[in-house]
Amino acid sequence: MNATGIPLKEPSVSAAAGATEQLERAYIDASTRVPVLMFYTSAMAWLILGTLLAGFVSFKLHAPDLLSNISFLTWGRMRPAHMNVMVYGWASMAGIGTAIWLMARLCRTVLRYPLLLVAAAGFWNLGVLLGVCGIVLGDSTGYQWLEFPSYAAIILFVAYTLVASWAVLMFRYRRGEQIYITQWYLLGAFLWFPWLYAAGQLMLFVVPVQGVLQSAVGWWYANNLLFLWFGAIALGTAYYMIPKVIGRPVYSYHLATIGFWSYALFSSWTGMQRLVDGPFPAWMITASIAAMILTMIPVATVGLNHHMTMQGYFPLMRYSPTLRFTVFGAMSYTVFSVVGLLISLRSVARYVDFTQASIAYSHLGLYAFFTMTIFGAMYYIVPRLIGREWRYASLIKLHFWASAYGIGLMTLMLLAGGFLQGADMENPTLSFSETVETVLPYLRGRSLAGILLTVSHFIFAYHFGLMLLGLGRTSTVPTFLNPVEAEEASGGH
Amino acid sequence: MKGLAPLFLGIFGTFAFSWVGLTVLPNWQIGHLNPQSDEEGTDIYPQPQSGMFERGARVYAANGCIYCHSQQVRADYAADDIERGWGNRRSAPRDYIFERPVFLGKMRMGQDIANIGARAPAEQASPAPGGGAPPAASPSGGTSPAALSAPQGAAPVAASPAAKQSPSPSPATQAASPAPAGSPATASSPAPAAAASPVTSPGSSPPAGAPPPGPKTGLASPSPAAAANATPGGTTTVSSGAQSAGPPWPIQTIGEPPMYSAAWQHVHLYSPRSINFDSNMPAYRFLYKKRRIADARSADALKLTGSDAPPEGWEVIPSYDAKCLVAYLMALNQSHPLKEAKSAGGAPPAAGSPAAAPSPPAAGSPAPAK
Repeated sequence: MNATGIPLKEPSVSAAAGATEQLERAYIDASTRVPVLMFYTSAMAWLILGTLLAGFVSFKLHAPDLLSNISFLTWGRMRPAHMNVMVYGWASMAGIGTAIWLMARLCRTVLRYPLLLVAAAGFWNLGVLLGVCGIVLGDSTGYQWLEFPSYAAIILFVAYTLVASWAVLMFRYRRGEQIYITQWYLLGAFLWFPWLYAAGQLMLFVVPVQGVLQSAVGWWYANNLLFLWFGAIALGTAYYMIPKVIGRPVYSYHLATIGFWSYALFSSWTGMQRLVDGPFPAWMITASIAAMILTMIPVATVGLNHHMTMQGYFPLMRYSPTLRFTVFGAMSYTVFSVVGLLISLRSVARYVDFTQASIAYSHLGLYAFFTMTIFGAMYYIVPRLIGREWRYASLIKLHFWASAYGIGLMTLMLLAGGFLQGADMENPTLSFSETVETVLPYLRGRSLAGILLTVSHFIFAYHFGLMLLGLGRTSTVPTFLNPVEAEEASGGH
Repeated sequence: MKGLAPLFLGIFGTFAFSWVGLTVLPNWQIGHLNPQSDEEGTDIYPQPQSGMFERGARVYAANGCIYCHSQQVRADYAADDIERGWGNRRSAPRDYIFERPVFLGKMRMGQDIANIGARAPAEQASPAPGGGAPPAASPSGGTSPAALSAPQGAAPVAASPAAKQSPSPSPATQAASPAPAGSPATASSPAPAAAASPVTSPGSSPPAGAPPPGPKTGLASPSPAAAANATPGGTTTVSSGAQSAGPPWPIQTIGEPPMYSAAWQHVHLYSPRSINFDSNMPAYRFLYKKRRIADARSADALKLTGSDAPPEGWEVIPSYDAKCLVAYLMALNQSHPLKEAKSAGGAPPAAGSPAAAPSPPAAGSPAPAK
């Protein structure tokens, strides 16, 4: 299809929307400004901190003597600090910000109880700050993904409870009978997270389970956090953004229903495949591997649904930043799931368990899928909160390509390194040091990818900062990636 | 979708399903394991650990050792962990019942250390709690492993000092444990500690190892390697195995403390690359103090060489945290047999010996070949 043949719509206004509806939307957007921007701004700050930590961690992994004599800069503290900043600082806060805005929009009512959210943002920041300081000072709990010491975890939980109760309250004010797909996912995420977090904390710290079950609970938590929290928010966002930007309804509501329920049912049963061949009853691991295979059902239905919605509109990705990032994220969901399935099959896990491949998997999920989708959403939402458009199309393009190439290169490097390292480890004639040496060049490659991502994040942070300072463009037309072509296209229409 | 009730119920239901299935059911199945003991109620394994161990585990957690080191040995049919010499049997849930947190780990940028304490030379291992050894990270604990192993009634208790190291029922088990000394494998071990092990040790093993005293020991036979050592030609099998398998851990430098001894662990933590030039481990110097020697050199002072050595009149001593960490490492030992963790070739030693012979690398692995 000829790209210029597609009518470009002003994304915020669907064809049928009347003037009243438009005004109503503007009101709703304005009401979300303070809380959403609070979450977004904090998220950006954590993103930059997490990126710096990531670079440091990545370099230290192949240059172990780099600043290793200072206790709080040692690799084993920087790594969980990086991970927790990204998971709880950046991803969770950006996700909550997006979810708040989507909830208000989809409930079609101005945001109520903004103070709840403002307090939540404050507590959340405090919790993450305390937690990261705790880790750096040597207070880590030692459970992966739950390293925050209990004093930080409690504050996070309080913050979270505020957000979830806001979501439920907000839901009671919704207008209209229909509950849109995005709302299923968001409501799911809002309700799953506190249960998940509470269950994890209770079973590990309050009434700890015995022995290896701690690891089982830990991975159950981590995987469900990835799927039921981050995954649900990202899928919900994609279900909103894609139809919105192209101005076309979702292809099939039925597919969406199947996708949602199979996602909730199967993805929540994964997690134990990370412990493959560990000291556990085999049925636990087999159940999770089976669940991993069954997650192909939501992957197929969601992927098909998005694809059919986008059918014929793919060329719009040339213009819309939101669409470009969101579609990248939605496609990464498929890649993430397929890679996750592959590395959890016993015959493959034999090699890649205990290698960098699992890091690749986490980055595919948290970055290529979740973060890219959220970037897309931020490109859509922030102008609507501030009343200005993004200033430079070139910066958006740079951001996209640096992110896309960065995460692609990182995933490839880690996967390749992981597979080779695993193959070496399964060859007992090689000494262990040799297996580590095998992976080092790939870790250097990963550091290179990290530089790309760092560039991309700094560009985005700068651009976001300009927006915050009110230095965006004043225009009625959103910033297109290829403005000249876009103008021609809409002019021709 | 219309109506909130089905949505809420579904969201709750799917989650509850997963929670029950993946945490509650397993907890019901393996969440209340007891230590195992033999018929007389002795030879209890595992046992609660000392305070130093607990604190060492916290140091381990605080400094993120888990992000590079796993602590689980996979079964021989699933992976080559045992062939690498990381253990003599697969890890089982029961190995971890007293550990909190459990550091199973997900990454091996460093070696698996589920059995690092078992690799220590015999005289180092006895102060630290060995495999089934009691809560004795303190040096005084040396007596208890012996006390524990005595009532077993197994013949080899007195056969070698290594019996102290882990109260295992037969020397055959000992041989398969990666301890470089105090076992028949010492024949090929360069560790100075080898001298401590009587030359009679290999010789004494065949009679003791062949007929297992009870069903427990039969099941417990940890690996084919154990059986291989129980064959009359045990010693030679071991040395041939040592050649075929590469050294599973760094090659030792001359002048260092015996490998995997507590002193070695300290030097390794302080300066990993002084021991293995290719090591990718960060140094943990912040766990050590450099100070001027007051009267005499402290007994704890690290034996450092080369560029790491402190200037004349100074010494490097471990902080209490470092001592706890090393006590923790020295206590990591899953070499004690477990009923439920047979290795793949886990037939009783007597019957298993011919079949087991073809897989010598495990037998060779205990020897940190020079």
